[in-house]
Amino acid sequence: MAIIEFDDVHKWFGPLHVLDGIKLTVDEGEVVVIIGPSGSGKSTLIRTVDRLEPIQQGRLTVDGVAVHDPKVDVNALRRRVGMVFQSFNLFPHLTAAENIMLAPTKVKGLSRTDARARADELLTKVGIPEKADQLPARLSGGQQQRVAIARALAMDPKIMLFDEPTSALDAEMIREVLDVMRQLAREGMTMLVVTHEIGFAREASNRVVFMDGGRIIEDTPTAEFFAGAREERARQFLSKVIRH
Amino acid sequence: MSGALMPGSILFEFPELFLKALGYTIQLSLIGSGGALLIGTVIALFRVSPIPPLRWIGVAFVEFFRNTPLLVQIFFLWLGLGALGFRYFTTDTFETIFRAATLGMALYHGAYVAEVIRGGLIGIERGQIEAARSLGLSFIQTLRYVQLPQTFRATVPPLGNIGIALIKNTSLASTIGVADLLQAAEVVESRTFRTEEAFGVVVLLYLVLTIPAGLGVNWLEKRMLIAR
Ligand SMILES: Nc1ncnc2c1ncn2[C@@H]1O[C@H](COP(=O)(O)OP(=O)(O)OP(=O)(O)O)[C@@H](O)[C@H]1O
Ligand SMILES: [Mg+2]
Repeated sequence: MAIIEFDDVHKWFGPLHVLDGIKLTVDEGEVVVIIGPSGSGKSTLIRTVDRLEPIQQGRLTVDGVAVHDPKVDVNALRRRVGMVFQSFNLFPHLTAAENIMLAPTKVKGLSRTDARARADELLTKVGIPEKADQLPARLSGGQQQRVAIARALAMDPKIMLFDEPTSALDAEMIREVLDVMRQLAREGMTMLVVTHEIGFAREASNRVVFMDGGRIIEDTPTAEFFAGAREERARQFLSKVIRH
Repeated sequence: MSGALMPGSILFEFPELFLKALGYTIQLSLIGSGGALLIGTVIALFRVSPIPPLRWIGVAFVEFFRNTPLLVQIFFLWLGLGALGFRYFTTDTFETIFRAATLGMALYHGAYVAEVIRGGLIGIERGQIEAARSLGLSFIQTLRYVQLPQTFRATVPPLGNIGIALIKNTSLASTIGVADLLQAAEVVESRTFRTEEAFGVVVLLYLVLTIPAGLGVNWLEKRMLIAR
């Protein structure tokens, strides 16, 4: 069943046509990786799902909700969609556990005790239970990103969006973050992932979407994509990324 | 000046007068800075608000109170508002005068606080705000739990400076008749003609307030650095 549906979505930044007639359907439990050159509109695309970016034309439905309908309760929508950013964006004045507890206590009204128990559980899941009471500044990049993933999961979202979650990390930390993401994928989380980690795409995704110039150039099941992308531009891009 | 430092100096000849005056100065300072923090925060929120009329009110407030003398504001709050029929300020009692002086302190310094807080608020990375909103926190919740706590931590030193300036500026209250430290000095001076001693004691008493306040700000700043 489709949980995300872009229907001829357009977006402009001033004169720049950043999303140019996007059609994309993501089914529940699917993991879709989005790749493409810099500036092709990947971040913009996934940010529209959480309504962090408005669209000017077309229709975007997420979990049955017309995201850009002005009457939509945007906070209710966002509770069901988790977002993980390239730059982690942890709240620096709160400890790891407090970062995770903030939304469950303030938005869902969970008690602090319950929220704390859930935070500890999630920190265990991402492999750093001992960091619960540390401030973000004391954590490595990989640890910070894992806290950020735990923070998003604490709202029990139906969809997780990842915007280059490992691009700001050193090689050894990339793996620990990707491991967490692989596990999420195995558990059946619906995921939309912008990444240059071809290994992750190959192993953990169902489909690969290749974007260029605000358009989806190719949308292919993963195995097929790596066996040989249909589009020349995608093939060229892939050969460049893999060589790195 | 040396007499002020001697035991049995003028301070101990008029203990009640000086202590009472110190009490009023402390009250003016505490209520004034509490009010300035509150008003300044609200005005700063107006200034970053997505609603244009609120932003205009914020700008008008800051420009008005920063660009007119505090002394004039205090006179206006006392006499002007009374004349305009604000009953809260009409009578000539000590309470009325004290109220006008406190409000003047809060409004004038609130304008400076607003600018500091606004700077702190806009200094917070966009990404953190997006992270908060993406978790389902509302605009107000994001301000309350993400932006404001960080802003207060980061602005301890400039807010502390405004607080210390406020303590010193409370001396203007004596001009409308608040029996504060400065007025105590004037009273004692007129009774004893020991000008240096009377004012020397008051200088010392101001230092007794401002130096610990400064140390307190430094201590708070260090604590906040650890907590950041
Ligand atoms: N807020 C904005 N205002 C104006 N232009 C923007 C804004 N955000 C992005 N753009 C432009 O829109 C285009 C698409 O940006 P986007 O960030 O979606 O690309 P991307 O595919 O994620 O690129 P990268 O791989 O570098 O992250 C780019 O040309 C970018 O400069
Ligand atoms: Mg991007």
